[in-house]
Amino acid sequence: MPLHPVCPAAELNPGGRKLVTIGRIEIGVFNVAGGFHAYRNICPHAGAPVCLGRITGTSLPSPVYEYAYGREGCILRCPWHGWEFDLETGEHLVDPEVRLKKFPIEVGKAGGGAEGVPCTSHENEALEKFPVEIQDGVIYVRLSS
Amino acid sequence: MSSPTAPSNASSGAPSNAGPDRPLSLIDSDVHNGLQSPTELLPYLSRYWAEAVRRHGLAIPGAGYSSPVGVQRQDARPVGEEGGPGSSPAFMVKDHLDRYGIDYALLTGSGMLSLSLHPDPDYANALSSAINEWTAAKWLGFSPRFRGSIIINHSDPLHAAGEIRKWAGHPQISQVLMASGTNRLFGQRFFHPIYEAAAEAGLPVAIHPGSEGAGTAPNITPAGRPTRYMEWHNILPINYMANVNSLVCEGVFVKFPALKFVAIEGGIAWLPHLMWRMDKNYKALRSQTPWLSELPSHYIRQHLYVTTQPIEEPENPQHILQIFEMIGAPGRILFSSDYPHWDFDNPRMALPPLGREWKERILWRNASELYNLKAPATPAVSEVPATGSASAKTA
Repeated sequence: MPLHPVCPAAELNPGGRKLVTIGRIEIGVFNVAGGFHAYRNICPHAGAPVCLGRITGTSLPSPVYEYAYGREGCILRCPWHGWEFDLETGEHLVDPEVRLKKFPIEVGKAGGGAEGVPCTSHENEALEKFPVEIQDGVIYVRLSS
Repeated sequence: MSSPTAPSNASSGAPSNAGPDRPLSLIDSDVHNGLQSPTELLPYLSRYWAEAVRRHGLAIPGAGYSSPVGVQRQDARPVGEEGGPGSSPAFMVKDHLDRYGIDYALLTGSGMLSLSLHPDPDYANALSSAINEWTAAKWLGFSPRFRGSIIINHSDPLHAAGEIRKWAGHPQISQVLMASGTNRLFGQRFFHPIYEAAAEAGLPVAIHPGSEGAGTAPNITPAGRPTRYMEWHNILPINYMANVNSLVCEGVFVKFPALKFVAIEGGIAWLPHLMWRMDKNYKALRSQTPWLSELPSHYIRQHLYVTTQPIEEPENPQHILQIFEMIGAPGRILFSSDYPHWDFDNPRMALPPLGREWKERILWRNASELYNLKAPATPAVSEVPATGSASAKTA
């Protein structure tokens, strides 16, 4: 799988996001508390540019009439219908079977990127996630071709 | 006033060794028992409220619509007795229970539930207590085939909870019943004392229509008041949709996981639409209801029952079966006739052709589980000598 550079790692701080187009594929790269994650910019629900959504937290499971806000910066909320995705796994908060298409990401030789989720078909309503690497201070996304 | 007890004199002639080992065959979850006259309630009212009823009548608010066919079936008028349809236990057993082989009838009162929409909650409380005393004495005491509903004033949930706790131990009390007309949605915390008491007692909470637009209740539709009875009756389910939506979203079934809710006579075919719409929105908006750990339709399938009458009648009967399937049939659906009202469903003719499992579930098994009715209270009707008159001796 060839590596595609995204940006110098120093430009993508925790909480930040970077959109890149590699060939005809748009990919959003996110720094979530120091961990890098790359997702295809297509919402598995309705095809929205999901990576342009709000990076936020959410209400955690709680007893009736109580609200517990948490996971600040770990939730990506799709700009079209508001579906919430866990930025660390790409999973939809309601149905984890629905995932963002994730790509492996690598940061330098240490790697450290999340393991790539197998490319899932549209029927599985998964976002595509890509592997990300950093080499010589530059973030790369690895695509299969 | 008497305290709730089991009937001491089974005047219906039910054998003391009730519960013969024949299977159940039919449970009717909506049968209207009415007053012969408002004066029947006087012994159960305090002097103050009895005086008020003597002077002004029961003054239970109505929605103000009149049906061209009347609400009561004219053929169901007791023969040789005072009072209108549904007012004689003996005639009801003969005319309805025995005629159709009904093992149990869930009594739902007649024209009484709208007391919850009376502007004076003290009067409504007194009336609800009196009705429950009267039901136990006159109806539950008459036949073990009658199962009672604790009729509550939902506008005073603390009093209602007290009424539930008072009657919960009565062996023939099977549910809590309240008007579906309301000026607050039923999921809201105002009502939770009712659900707490019902869940604690192991009794389902049921709603029944008729009070939409009556007394303190708002218009049946938020867009205004229907012009005629037909139009009002057509759109009653809008209130049911609003309340089922509220019960689920407010987390009533999370807070009271044992609670079951029965939506009587509110139709069925609207449920798939509501379930799908709620589920779709939950996928986007769940952060507003973080107490729901499952899709909203899950709570509907686990906690809500609907009754069949007035059964929707599509041109193609198969379509109603498809709707049943969508909401989780053969569970969730209870047969009801609405005797002795005009839009009565004949248990032998109302339902489309059903497979054996579906038929059993809808006609008696679902109700048997929900209301904990394990075996018939009396021998099969065919074993009982027929009675030629509408006397109290029926079985």
